[in-house]
Amino acid sequence: MRSDTPGRIRPSRLNRREFVRISAAGVGASALIAGGRRPAAAAASPYPDWLPASTKPPKRGGVLTRASAWDPPVIDPRHTQSVGLFQFAGLTSNRLVRHPFSDEATNPNDLTLKGDLAESWSANADHRVWTFKLRQGVKWQNVAPLKGRELTAADVKYCYEAYAKEGVQAFTFQEIEGMETPDKYTLRVHLKTPNTLFPQNVAEHVAIIFAREVLEEDGDLKKRLIGTGPYILKEHTRKVRVVLQRNPDYWDKGRPSIDEYVILSTPDDATRVAAFRTGQSDIIWRASVSDVEAIRKTNPNVQVQAYSNTLAPFGVALAQDRPPFNDVRVRRAISMAIDRQKQVDTVFEGHGILGWGVPYIYYQDTPPTAKDLGPWWQFRPAEAKKLLAEAGHPNGFETTLFYYEYFPQMSSQVQLVQQDLKKHLNINVKITKLDYTGYYGRYVDSKWDGMSWGFQSGHAVGLDERTYMYMHSKSTKNFFRVNDPVIDELTTKLRRTPDRAEQRAIAKKIVDREYDQVLRMWMPYDNGFLVFQPHMRNVAAGALRRTDGYGCPTIARSWIDK
Amino acid sequence: MYKYVIRRMLLVIPVLLLSSLVVFGLMRVMPGDALTALMGESGNVGEKELAKLRKDLGLDRPYHEQYALWVWQMVSLNPGHSIFTNEPIAVSLKKAIPVTLELASLAMIIGIVIAVPVGVMSATRQDSASDYVGRVIAVSGLSFPEFWLGTLVITFAAIWFHWIPPIGYVSLWESPWKNLQQFLIPAGVLGFRLSAATMRMTRSTVLEVLREDYVRTAWAKGLEGRIVVYKHALKNALIPVVTIVGGQLGVLLAGTVVVETIFALPGMGRLTVEAILFRDYPVVQTNVMLVAATLVTLNLVVDLTYAWLDPRIRYR
Repeated sequence: MRSDTPGRIRPSRLNRREFVRISAAGVGASALIAGGRRPAAAAASPYPDWLPASTKPPKRGGVLTRASAWDPPVIDPRHTQSVGLFQFAGLTSNRLVRHPFSDEATNPNDLTLKGDLAESWSANADHRVWTFKLRQGVKWQNVAPLKGRELTAADVKYCYEAYAKEGVQAFTFQEIEGMETPDKYTLRVHLKTPNTLFPQNVAEHVAIIFAREVLEEDGDLKKRLIGTGPYILKEHTRKVRVVLQRNPDYWDKGRPSIDEYVILSTPDDATRVAAFRTGQSDIIWRASVSDVEAIRKTNPNVQVQAYSNTLAPFGVALAQDRPPFNDVRVRRAISMAIDRQKQVDTVFEGHGILGWGVPYIYYQDTPPTAKDLGPWWQFRPAEAKKLLAEAGHPNGFETTLFYYEYFPQMSSQVQLVQQDLKKHLNINVKITKLDYTGYYGRYVDSKWDGMSWGFQSGHAVGLDERTYMYMHSKSTKNFFRVNDPVIDELTTKLRRTPDRAEQRAIAKKIVDREYDQVLRMWMPYDNGFLVFQPHMRNVAAGALRRTDGYGCPTIARSWIDK
Repeated sequence: MYKYVIRRMLLVIPVLLLSSLVVFGLMRVMPGDALTALMGESGNVGEKELAKLRKDLGLDRPYHEQYALWVWQMVSLNPGHSIFTNEPIAVSLKKAIPVTLELASLAMIIGIVIAVPVGVMSATRQDSASDYVGRVIAVSGLSFPEFWLGTLVITFAAIWFHWIPPIGYVSLWESPWKNLQQFLIPAGVLGFRLSAATMRMTRSTVLEVLREDYVRTAWAKGLEGRIVVYKHALKNALIPVVTIVGGQLGVLLAGTVVVETIFALPGMGRLTVEAILFRDYPVVQTNVMLVAATLVTLNLVVDLTYAWLDPRIRYR
């Protein structure tokens, strides 16, 4: 018996449908089956999008365990931004500035910056010089070679210089012209160009402060990750587990509450679900309502948070620097020929977003509707056909699309796009599915022809990262090959605008320009659900920071109620 | 006999050389390299920096130099470091080999323990209900792929018994009980599949041997059925069975890849697959060579076992 009322579903045996579904998952067909199971109308989630903080005082102790799909490739934050590392690095280490934890925020979209290692920060008049005042008495973890010495501004300076020197964060930190430390607790950062959004960049989850001594002794950070954070990395055995133990000397007195956080490397999704069902895992991510319902049949008391995405990380990237995609009419025609709502309804069971690239919370209060996305994002195949003919392609053309299947539904989406383009524009898309390394190498190389199912990095929260860094023609993170003088001008202007209201207005202009020129053709993306064991408290995920991923720092405020 | 063994061992050299050339070539043909995988989704690593890293790792050298260097490393038993994790490959192997060895051994034992008695029973009770049951089991084992069976087992164990093997590998020496809990079900999944072909082969060879004159003589002498079957018939029926078991070692090793993934065991299968995905050339090459050498050695052992099972066999 099914019920749509949370908390009223009784445990039951598997029925025939579920048996078939599980079996199908085993042979890799679950996505297609899920796609055809639900009526096309968009359904509202039966679960809340926010789990308020507990009103009870936190209890100390306990072990939080999570079966995780991700394994840290290396633990050197200079060399990877992988969620495998940052599902826990934000707990071993702090940043200068952070986003609100779940017990501080009132809703998932609260991105008000808070002090982490910095107590306060301010800029000079032109926002080229930023001064950060550090907390006093912050100690490194009591582990050799740091042995609990005090953190100083020189540590932060050293760390930022190391990031700028090499590795994946170099582009962000090369913006720094120089740094000075007038005293032990003050860091003054001089930027090459004004940037009112600089604090957002040092609040990114990947901008953690690592220990100078470790880099100097080891020559890299591949073996030891020592920070000032609430948890000490006790064990990191690749493909087995990561064990974090409570830092008894943590500067935020009385925190964290949980004694140990164990992340178990579990690559198989069915195993992660089984681990959650049997209590071996306290947190799990599910992509669809039916996935959540299946879990609630055996575990009816779990807490579920409907996670609403503020952006879509994937879209069709076009080689827009060469024909035929350098013609805006072709891009617009393609965009209009794709039925995005169909993808939401079928592939994501009605629980997904249509797709946009800049987090909407930076320019409006509610998620964009189809209408907000402008005329070229509506499904209008007849007009698309006409526009493509005007662009000189009345009979369509041949092109290619390569992709890597980040999640099973993606293949269905790619095929739907292929069908739409063939049916409505007579564009023949030859699809190539690659493995991760093959895809990634070709995609970031930015020399490919035709189309790719493109991505934007998942870790970023800040507006600067999501606009200037990903869209400016000179940025090395501009994977979609955007080369638009208006976007360059607007993203640069945004960095020079301190006023929040004006920032919102400029951000809106940026996305409007993006929609109008179809610079990045975003595709629907699922919203998903975070499912927690009933005893977990203060674990809600905020926008752009899932508790089981980059948003792990909030676990410093979580506790186990049993 | 010794000459035969020496000859076989000498033949191993060209086999391994050919394997090394194939794996080295295939890895270079695949698009992308470990560095692009390592930088994962950051995209802000300049060409200059990538070039420097490639130079540091020797990936900018001509292929023949890379190959020669690698062969030398293998011969000198120092396979080098993983490009992806920087861990010495010897250390990775030291962690992964015991896992796969334990899983494969248990699977093999389970497979044989299921296959031989059921095969013998099917043969001795040909066309009876128990024979049909045995044959259905065998066909099921052949039909169910490991990934399907493994997924189903773990899902239904969680739903029906609210129990699955503990996740997070623990070695046999650390906690024997927990280790056994972790290995028995995955080994059972692998062993069940392995047992299918062995069971069918046991059945058919025992059926054949039971019709031999010497078995009829044994019956005529008034020996007990158990003695006739297990002492006289089974040993001679085992030669093709041993061949099948030996031949399935490759299938078994391939099966561990899937089973290790489903049951979160950090063995050779996961190590190799991850290394392939991330173009970690030295790790893939070393692992493939190790597996090739193991298979070649085991095949030799299987061939030598024939002589023990059947004294009529002579090696020249």
